[in-house]
Amino acid sequence: MHDASLSETSKNLPLLVSKDRAGKYLIFHLGTEDFGTEVLKVREIMGLQDITTVPQTPNYVKGVINLRGKVIPVVDLRLKFELAPEEYTARTCIVVVRTSQAGVEMMIGIIVDGVAEVLTLREEDIEDTPDFGPGIETPYVNGMAKIKGKVKILLDIDQVLSTKEMNGLSALLQ
Amino acid sequence: MLVAETIVPTQPASLRDRIDEVSTRLILRGATGLASVDFELLGQSAQEQGNDLVAAIARDLSRQIAEASSSDQTDLTRILSGGLVRMQALLKEPAVAATVESISVEPSEKTASQIQANAAIQSLSADMDLIREFVTESLEHLSTIEGQVLILEKNNTAAETLNSIFRAFHTIKGLAGFLEFADVQALAHEVETLLDLARTARLTVTSQVVDVVLESTDVLRQELHGIEIRLGGNIPPPSRINESLLLKIRKVSRGEVEQSGNTAGAPVASSISPEGSGKIATAPPAERRIEVGRSSDSSSSVRIDTAKLDQLMDMVGEMVIAQTLIEHSPALSMVQDVRFLKDLTHLARITSDVQRITTGMRMVPIGTQMQKTARLVRDLSRRAKKEIVLETFGEDTELDKTIAEELADPLLHMVRNSIDHGIEPPEERIALGKNPTARIRIAAYHQSGQIVVEISDDGRGLNREKILAKAQQNGLVQSGTQLTDNEIFLLIFEAGFSTADKVTDISGRGVGMDVVRKHVQKLRGRIDIQSEQGKGTTFYLKLPLTLAIIEGLVIVVGDQRYIVPIYSTKEILRPKAEMLSTVQGRGEMAMVHDTLLPIVRLHRRFEMKPRTTSLADGMLVVVESEGRQFCLFVDEVTGKQEVVIKSLGESFKNIPGIAGCAILGDGRVGLILDMDGISNGRS
Repeated sequence: MHDASLSETSKNLPLLVSKDRAGKYLIFHLGTEDFGTEVLKVREIMGLQDITTVPQTPNYVKGVINLRGKVIPVVDLRLKFELAPEEYTARTCIVVVRTSQAGVEMMIGIIVDGVAEVLTLREEDIEDTPDFGPGIETPYVNGMAKIKGKVKILLDIDQVLSTKEMNGLSALLQ
Repeated sequence: MLVAETIVPTQPASLRDRIDEVSTRLILRGATGLASVDFELLGQSAQEQGNDLVAAIARDLSRQIAEASSSDQTDLTRILSGGLVRMQALLKEPAVAATVESISVEPSEKTASQIQANAAIQSLSADMDLIREFVTESLEHLSTIEGQVLILEKNNTAAETLNSIFRAFHTIKGLAGFLEFADVQALAHEVETLLDLARTARLTVTSQVVDVVLESTDVLRQELHGIEIRLGGNIPPPSRINESLLLKIRKVSRGEVEQSGNTAGAPVASSISPEGSGKIATAPPAERRIEVGRSSDSSSSVRIDTAKLDQLMDMVGEMVIAQTLIEHSPALSMVQDVRFLKDLTHLARITSDVQRITTGMRMVPIGTQMQKTARLVRDLSRRAKKEIVLETFGEDTELDKTIAEELADPLLHMVRNSIDHGIEPPEERIALGKNPTARIRIAAYHQSGQIVVEISDDGRGLNREKILAKAQQNGLVQSGTQLTDNEIFLLIFEAGFSTADKVTDISGRGVGMDVVRKHVQKLRGRIDIQSEQGKGTTFYLKLPLTLAIIEGLVIVVGDQRYIVPIYSTKEILRPKAEMLSTVQGRGEMAMVHDTLLPIVRLHRRFEMKPRTTSLADGMLVVVESEGRQFCLFVDEVTGKQEVVIKSLGESFKNIPGIAGCAILGDGRVGLILDMDGISNGRS
């Protein structure tokens, strides 16, 4: 409601909507693929630590950790993307991202196989997601970047971690 | 470069031009093109031109920019553009500003009130924060006013009290005017005028005056809640501010006495006035304990967002954990340096001080809640035609804000019950040789880590036999059961239990006391009663000081640790083979003190791998939920710990069996179990 009434007001001023995808991206590995997420959304990168399992949650929700007094959920991105599970290594780490879910800001940790680098991408480096044909939806892919001959998949992290899905699943389990 | 543009205005550009310039930049470059200094400068020039409202909006926007994080640019842009539009509208004539706002609402088939509500939302949207602040602040003023008015009623010449009520209304009026809440402003204005007459001794403060002021605070409070509802996007109940109320205030201020009032509060006053209100007015000073002197030190306090407080609590918690980790580090035993060890002890002391202070920051004095009962006693005693004096002690006793707020209802119900059932009518009291003026006493104090609130009256006391008879009749108690006095008295808290022979509009339906019990249970507290027939009754509410911390049992299953709240555990035991049995091949049971209790295996409930599946190798924790007992089978019980309760957040809101989580001594997260949830999912 808050948002709705604000947008009412904002009708009076034309908004400059930026669909600007250019910017800095954190590149990380997952299996054989490289993924990217906006650096602005990344809060910190930490080594793997003890995770407290929360019962009756989907298998990709690994549990919760204590991030300096804040309890935040941790999601295994490998399992989330239905890749084959693999043992965690010394390079495995938790990327803490800030996402906004239904207007609420929250922090979530994602487990990735390893982080590579931070890339500055120009708009012309980024291509729209190709159409994979019917039945293959890619709502959480913002685009693809081809850098140094390799494709990086740019994720819309808010979509990836939509809590509605987590809620829905835990509701199903009840 | 951007800043340079704005800092050096070559000539004093008109305020409107500058606002236009800023909005152009917003349109061209989005929120990133603007810095908080832009709005600060706008605010300054608005201030110079005496346009307070524009200045306030500009300052607010400047703060918004400063606080906004880089990720929510779109929201910020919306807020900024909304604010700019509002400023632009304000710079035109107020009348034009009004039309600007109403034009954007299309009058289709909506009813008039809907349109009105929408228009209100429109005007609200631009400065929601300001309005929220206005509502909280005004509500605070209103409760101060209430307390002060009651003092005034007892001593109608207290100039300072009168002044402070006047000032409070004046502030509300000012703020309401500033935010264009015309109704609120109008009502506050009338009351202010009335009080001004009283202040300058042109009008005597009669009970008429007090009544009308109190009625106005009620109406204002309702109006403020209406504004809150509107902020939430819903349509509030219709406003009670109307001409007749304003007329009534004006009448009173002219000194006219209203003969046939149409409101509940006023007429009673005149009907019992000769002795009733006279008594109240001349009550000896000893009874005037509800001083609201605290309002004077309010200037030295700061309003803090609870989210910030919680954050601070989190960080302090972490600091304590880090401290403990260092203290228990094996490396420390190698250290020989005396100076270093001394410094470490010093740090530990500071840490625990900081922790104590932060925990105390959520504490508020209980006095505000007592004030609310003062108002109730005044109204109800008049209606019940009983003379009652309220004494309060220990208003400064501090307790957690949440608990204080939750306490308001039980307090009101108990006082209401005392007035209606406990206290006899004056004639009866005289016949019994008692002082015709009854006393209700509310006292609060700390006792062994709890807060105790005593509510006592010198009325007729509880009738042990009558309660017992009624309970047996209702089947609450089997005849022949031996009960202590306290146990019998506690029966009055059972749902639907009322020994009152008549149901009055105050109480007697047996609902109130049930509510009290529910509230107190929710707060993890308990009630005790002492009563002597003919002498009076005392209720003792015993509550924890804070809800943020619980004592818990740390248990282990597999590689996970969980916390079982102490208040739901009864016993811990290592099962022996002869205690265990299986019923019908399905449920496992344990014989504990001659009672057969079902066993719940936590590892099965949570589908995880335990260290042991053999009952004899683990531990049983006997727990109680909703009056039923059962045994929880776990690998191990490692100890007892005080933990700070944290929420698991939106994503894990409704997991049955999990109440929340806490950070354990080593910094890891432990889940707090919810026995009701575990018990319900048992089968």
